[in-house]
Amino acid sequence: MRPEIPLERIPAYIDGIEAIIETILANIVLLGQIPAPTFREHNRTAALLDRLAEFGVDECTTDGYQNPIGIIRGRSQTRAPIFIVAHSDTSFGEDVDHNFTVTADHISGAGVLDNSIGVGVLASLPEVFRQLDLTFQSDIVLAGVIQSIGKGNLRGIRHLLKTWSTPIRGAICMESADLGRLSHYSDGMIRGEVICDTLSGPAERHCQRPNAILVINEAIDQILALRLPQRPRTEIVIGTISGGLKHGAPANEARLGFEIHSDSDEMVKSLYTDIFDIVEGLGHVYEVSLTLETVSNVNAARLAYSHPLVKSIIQIMSALQVAPVSSPSESELSIFLSRQIPAVTLGITHGRRQQERTASAQIAPLSRGIAQVIAGIQAIDRGVCDDD
Amino acid sequence: MTTDWIHTNTFHYHQFSDLNRLVSAKTERGLKISLCLPTLNEERTIAKELVILKSELMTRYPLLDEIVVIDSGSSDATCEVARAFGADVHLADDILPHLPSCRGKGENLWKALFITSGDIIVYLDADIKNIHHRFAYGLIGPLLLNPGIKYTKAFYDRPIAISKDEIRPTGGGRVTELVIRPLFSLFFPELTQIMQPLSGEYAGFREIFEQIPFPIGYGVETSMILDIYRKWGMEVMAQVDLEKRVHRNQDTKALGRMAFSIMKTFINRKQRLGLIHLERDLFDEMIQYRLVKGEFEANATLLENRERPPMITIPEYQKKTRMRA
Repeated sequence: MRPEIPLERIPAYIDGIEAIIETILANIVLLGQIPAPTFREHNRTAALLDRLAEFGVDECTTDGYQNPIGIIRGRSQTRAPIFIVAHSDTSFGEDVDHNFTVTADHISGAGVLDNSIGVGVLASLPEVFRQLDLTFQSDIVLAGVIQSIGKGNLRGIRHLLKTWSTPIRGAICMESADLGRLSHYSDGMIRGEVICDTLSGPAERHCQRPNAILVINEAIDQILALRLPQRPRTEIVIGTISGGLKHGAPANEARLGFEIHSDSDEMVKSLYTDIFDIVEGLGHVYEVSLTLETVSNVNAARLAYSHPLVKSIIQIMSALQVAPVSSPSESELSIFLSRQIPAVTLGITHGRRQQERTASAQIAPLSRGIAQVIAGIQAIDRGVCDDD
Repeated sequence: MTTDWIHTNTFHYHQFSDLNRLVSAKTERGLKISLCLPTLNEERTIAKELVILKSELMTRYPLLDEIVVIDSGSSDATCEVARAFGADVHLADDILPHLPSCRGKGENLWKALFITSGDIIVYLDADIKNIHHRFAYGLIGPLLLNPGIKYTKAFYDRPIAISKDEIRPTGGGRVTELVIRPLFSLFFPELTQIMQPLSGEYAGFREIFEQIPFPIGYGVETSMILDIYRKWGMEVMAQVDLEKRVHRNQDTKALGRMAFSIMKTFINRKQRLGLIHLERDLFDEMIQYRLVKGEFEANATLLENRERPPMITIPEYQKKTRMRA
């Protein structure tokens, strides 16, 4: 029988975390202010490794894909490691001002909620463990994986898990927001981009070339006309659109970004094929170059709600008076789950304008958010992910 | 004129990033170090500076013994925020309150000498957007590890914030290049080796700061360099490359007023040293023009050249120093 998590002790973690909150905030700011657009994360990951080394982490290294990794050795020689993961990349370019503003209640700035708080907390965990006087049976692997979002297509975590040589006991993925988030399943997802270029197709020779924006508009109309089933749960999100140069000139180029989500991989593939057909058809009708590119994709995977890890996290959240909100996550979690490694994604604090340059995160909930992660690690270390 | 100084007394903060070494040197020499942040309406940046400096240089490495905020009377929440993040906050007017009230950065720096107890005092501006603890330890390093050095000054790449969300990688330093460097070249060529004489970040031993006067306003950095140079020579000074510092860009008219104060300080110092003779006193107003409804309108700003005497001449300070001893 697995030893129970000492739920009554979890709220006391908050005081210990509060005692070093300045160090945690300093890590969030010092790491978060280093620009780390996907594929150009090196400066941030180097700083993360420096911080982990400064905090006395036993082994600080990178894997073959340049994912930064810190390993805190456990007491047991035989237990498999526990992974704690936060993606290091952000969607903001190097030209964007990454300097944060700190007030008594908030930290604000580009990328703070995606995922500077996650990375800052990852760097702080060794100090939190020391402050709370915690040690673990398992090795704790702290990974600030790269090339996660957008066109990164989770390459960092895919590589890390593909090349990791031992079994993995369980994992917690950290996202900055929102506290209460409990993701234990991933939808199947394909993220695609439709690109219309009227200068490259046969219509290029015509005096009256079609307007690329109108071609994309026609594609949207046809995508929205696709029949989506209620079961399996399925959704198409039209997420981004861009094109044209100026108000008075027909656009020569336009782009549409979309995602297909479903809890059935088959449904995702089927709809993607439908969109491919739409794109091919419209390209033929308008005589333009109309292409469909896959940006990223993940398979549907699920840790059952009744899994001991999920149940433990719900108990931990309850002890911390955090209301759990179950939602899918197509992030690092999906790669763990697709490899049958029990894992959850947790949010650390509350915030607003997550994807904006003016994103703002609350400071006060941080300690509860970190306490839930600590207790989650303890739960895994006590065996909630182990096969009996 | 010596031109070696730039080679022998120029450092990079990386040379001092072994903080354990700095803490050991400080402990061995039995020194205390105070950090002073002069403020006026800095609620947007003060908290971040305090968080990072306290965490890295007090909690994790005990290099700083105190962080003191000296405020000129902010109308925003600067003082409340600074207190909430654990700083020792003082209103400049409450320090030596029997003296006539003055308002300016120099006043805050001068009064910090009275409030703080460190043997080394580090002055950092409170509006550094990209604050990092290197700003403090980079300046402290040469003072702890190079026995002859008594005063350190920062220099940087200077990106300027061109809009709310964008920064431009080079720029700034216009007053340095258009005012200070020509003046230094004309009168004190040795001092041209100081890359950014107007940078707002410097550190030094109390025995230096307490013996020099402090102008109240913009002239404080210029006068400090001239006074230290005159009393102790270039050898006690060093400059440290702190790499990038993001600062607020000021408009040309504001820079004009700054240049006015600096030139006035410079000319007064030269007169006091007997290097020039003025037939009459300098004027106290900077006059700038603007176009209002097709007419030029003069806008005169009073910029008096007030300065505080060396702190060591203040009786209350002498008494406090004796008690501390």
